[in-house]
Amino acid sequence: MARVITVTSGKGGVGKTTTTANLGTALAIQGARVVVIDADIGLRNLDVVMGLENRIVYDLVDVVEGRARLRQSLIKDKRVPELYLLPAAQTRDKDAVSSDDMIDLTNQLRQEYDFVLIDCPAGIETGFKNAIAGADEILIVTTPEVSAVRDADRVVGLVEAAEKGPPRLIINRLNPRLVAKGEMLSMDEVVEILALEPIGVVPEDEHIVSSTNRGEAAVFNQSSQAGRAFHNIARRLNGEHVPLLEPTEQNGVFDRLFGGLFGRRART
Amino acid sequence: MHNMIQIKGARDGLRILFDDSAEWPDLLTELRTQLMQGGNFFAGAKLTLDVGERALSDEQLSAVLAIMEEHGLQTEAVSTSASATRRLARAAGLTARSTPRPATAAQALPSLDEAMLLVRTVRSGQVIRHQGHVALIGDVNPGAEIIAGGSVVVWGRLRGMVHAGALGDSSAMICALELRPTQLRIAHLIARTPEDGNDRYTVQPEVARVVQAQIVVESWDFPRH
Repeated sequence: MARVITVTSGKGGVGKTTTTANLGTALAIQGARVVVIDADIGLRNLDVVMGLENRIVYDLVDVVEGRARLRQSLIKDKRVPELYLLPAAQTRDKDAVSSDDMIDLTNQLRQEYDFVLIDCPAGIETGFKNAIAGADEILIVTTPEVSAVRDADRVVGLVEAAEKGPPRLIINRLNPRLVAKGEMLSMDEVVEILALEPIGVVPEDEHIVSSTNRGEAAVFNQSSQAGRAFHNIARRLNGEHVPLLEPTEQNGVFDRLFGGLFGRRART
Repeated sequence: MHNMIQIKGARDGLRILFDDSAEWPDLLTELRTQLMQGGNFFAGAKLTLDVGERALSDEQLSAVLAIMEEHGLQTEAVSTSASATRRLARAAGLTARSTPRPATAAQALPSLDEAMLLVRTVRSGQVIRHQGHVALIGDVNPGAEIIAGGSVVVWGRLRGMVHAGALGDSSAMICALELRPTQLRIAHLIARTPEDGNDRYTVQPEVARVVQAQIVVESWDFPRH
């Protein structure tokens, strides 16, 4: 029986799609059977980030409206055997599907897979409601910025109101150098505001930009710090105990640049 | 003290309860008074008129709705056990419910002495509205609001907006372990945090109250009269 997990944030551009692609890939590399769903109908991205855009024949709306069977529309990943993408429709909008459609869809997938990850659109309207409708668990992605944290807080409230249980938190694009200078919120500060258990902290990493543009998940890249962080999150999702460390300059790329002079270890 | 009009916070809005036995003109007068005093307390709330067992005529319903509108308030629903009134409400484009009143509502409740205790984080976009005092164990995050008829005590960090004495009581107070609100309101007064750009606050419990028509914030152990 699959666990259905929706990746959401409220604010756009904080890394929902990148997170979904990398976590899905990492889980599949670790041996799970995974489907990632792009619920951002009308603004699809997940296919591009995963490098599968040119293989799309049918999409989520085709399935919901009965033009294609679910099995037909799942796109197999290029590199990892048990990873599939259900793409969003690009020519339609959020009203093309309902919450019930999403619940049906996820229930069909539950039987055959271990994880179903849903990439939620930004915002708190129909698209968001549809994306969380079928979910068992919620992952909230935020960056250490006041505006992103504010939106995440709003979304946590809505997730709680939808009785999805306490969501877990991914802090994305943390820059240890800025944190050390007191110019960026630290992990502790974000956790303090949101009162949520973090499941991972992903450091800011230039590899993400290049891997996203190449359509290849960062988790394939051994030298990508963000890739390693996503691997760790995937292991934690699997119930493995992996200690959570706030990225510091010592274990950051800045280590090499600045000799880690100002680094400090954070608590686990 | 028996209120002809009672205001109760419901799950997602406010319920205005009309006494079953009071005279109709008195009820309207009382409603006007309450809305006048209430001001901000009602603003933006989803309002349900609970007229109990009273069967309203078309004119009576229109009169109530007109009063609500005068105060810039949008009525969302009418709750009554009289089916004729429900039909009228639907005809007026409102939601009509036959939700029975909770047994306690029939009793006279000393509204302002009634306090609400919450143990949670009040998050951005969430609004806690209560006619009496509010005691919260937890944080009020930025973008969250607490609007209370009485005083508000926050055993936690207050970073959102709190309006105490929202029904006009300027003796209401706001206390928090860490008082860093975006804005504070007591009765008709508004105060905001000074924009000195200094976020090295000393964290200590503080109290905000009205002194000579101004909201004054003092440390909790500040000598008081």
